[in-house]
Amino acid sequence: MRRHPRELSVAGVLALLLVALAIVAPAFFSPQPLRSLLVREMPALIVACGMAFVIVAREIDISVGSQFSLCSVLAGLLAAAGWPLPLVLLAALGAGALMGLANGALVALAGLPSIVVTLATMVTLRQGLNLARQGEFVNLPDGVQWFGLSQTAGQWLVLAVAAGVLAALAWASRHLAAGRFVYAVGSDAAAARLAGVNPVRVTLGVFVFMGALTGFAAVLNLIQSPQVQPLVGSGLELKVIAAAVVGGVAISGGRGSLWGVLAGLLLLATIPPALTHLHIEAYWEKAIQGAIILLAAASDGLGRKRSNHG
Amino acid sequence: MKTPRLLALFLATAVAALAADAKLMFALMPKAKGNAYFLSVKAGAEKAAKELNVELLFDGPTDTNAAKQNEIVENWITLGVDVIAVAAENRDGISTALRKARAQGITVLTYDADAQAAARSFFVNQATPQGIGYTLMDEAARLTGGEGEFAIITATLTAANQREWQKHIEARLAEKYPKMKLVAVRPCDDLKDRAQSEATALMSAHQNLKLIMAICSPGVPGAAEAVKQAGRAGAVKVIGLGLPNENKRYVHEGVTDAVILWDTGDLGYLTVQAGVALADGKLKAGDQQFKVGNRTFAIEGDNILLGSPFVFTRENIDRFDF
Repeated sequence: MRRHPRELSVAGVLALLLVALAIVAPAFFSPQPLRSLLVREMPALIVACGMAFVIVAREIDISVGSQFSLCSVLAGLLAAAGWPLPLVLLAALGAGALMGLANGALVALAGLPSIVVTLATMVTLRQGLNLARQGEFVNLPDGVQWFGLSQTAGQWLVLAVAAGVLAALAWASRHLAAGRFVYAVGSDAAAARLAGVNPVRVTLGVFVFMGALTGFAAVLNLIQSPQVQPLVGSGLELKVIAAAVVGGVAISGGRGSLWGVLAGLLLLATIPPALTHLHIEAYWEKAIQGAIILLAAASDGLGRKRSNHG
Repeated sequence: MKTPRLLALFLATAVAALAADAKLMFALMPKAKGNAYFLSVKAGAEKAAKELNVELLFDGPTDTNAAKQNEIVENWITLGVDVIAVAAENRDGISTALRKARAQGITVLTYDADAQAAARSFFVNQATPQGIGYTLMDEAARLTGGEGEFAIITATLTAANQREWQKHIEARLAEKYPKMKLVAVRPCDDLKDRAQSEATALMSAHQNLKLIMAICSPGVPGAAEAVKQAGRAGAVKVIGLGLPNENKRYVHEGVTDAVILWDTGDLGYLTVQAGVALADGKLKAGDQQFKVGNRTFAIEGDNILLGSPFVFTRENIDRFDF
């Protein structure tokens, strides 16, 4: 309880919401719609994991939505051109990593603030994509959706892949040197340098990893429908940053876990369908999500104050 | 030395005089010239140009670029075209250049997206909010037999266009279809994927839902994919305001029943017909209607109305490519 207070309290709120739904609107738990809704959130979960590492390293990347769009359209065009899916995946990973490298180089090597750098790349990438596509959808060939499997098998595969990635990353963040270095740099870069960690390399690394995960998530989203909308992923940066913050990743760096991110994302993602089931007007949705983020931030602030006094 | 120059001057004058006597020059500007939507407008415009024996110039920015539109209008003024028709990217941005063109005696009108009223004589209006709202509601009633629950997926709850359309949908519902019930309005932020999630939740929350109506274009394929994945094609109808190419696959699969927009070819055709009639003095400010062959288009103030929206269905959707 002491080690994971935030993760547990967010999971508790999510559990309360689900219990309330089970009583008032049991139809929420119909298997097919519930699985479909969950599958739709998996790409955002992967991006949120990457964002958690970026924030733990005391940086931010608000260009992930634009990166996601670009990777999606690129992957879609390659798939439409007949590339096999494994190569499409490699290309998306590569494109994401390259964009991450550009962000990372400007932040880690040139020493520019990450919020400014990624604001610039967010706008530039988005406008470039608008110019190139003018909103036109990419139509995918048959056999791309669900990897050519049946819908049910495809959906379980997406869930399994996302769960696997989440578990692997959660383990790596605690047990691999690279994972621990991210926390070390985010807590205290000077101390980390004294301990032999190269903060420049770590910062560069988290941005590249963020980009690659975004490319991976784009493909995980691509295979869920037969068309790619170039606007896909717009607003994704806000969603994943909110999930990380609600899940207990400290915006001041050095603290947070991926299990918290999972709970935060699921909590925020449950609000819109929950409102539909409870017949509450959509006007409340953003207000409720905002209140959850504010509560999370406030509990961080209070917690820090208390520990400072203690 | 002197003679050739005089000769050249004479020749140039002669050519200019010939050009003036020759075909009327009609300059048509899209928001973006490579865009499939405007290419289909152009096809209709070419048909009218052929019928009326006028020369059609079609030029615009390669991407949506308000400044580039101004530049092209300036060039057209220098070139001495007779009619300019513009789909304005920026209402106020284009108006100075258009006013200048009018001052030079060029006939100016707008279509698709209007400029300031003083900058053009007429706006060829492709669809009124009432026309869109009523057509959507009438189609919904036709497909459900006039009874049952339906839901709307909109862009955002505050988007001005969508609110205006929704107002007319609800007015038509109250007036004509007492057995139909609007059970929910959900936003999709203009994202197809979000519309899919919203439609999934709507179907599970409202088990008796008969129809989903999407009033933002990405919402239509998004809702269709949700209905298809839920295995409820046919049981839950999908209609909406959208583009043919984004919906063809679902229309042919029997998931989406009707896509509503306007006939873009007709929009180009009417724009050229109206522009030439204006230049010839056959159409004047204050006219109540405009006749082309056996078709009559209503005029409201300085808006020439294209008429009721067009309903794309399985039978006709393949004729359109935008």
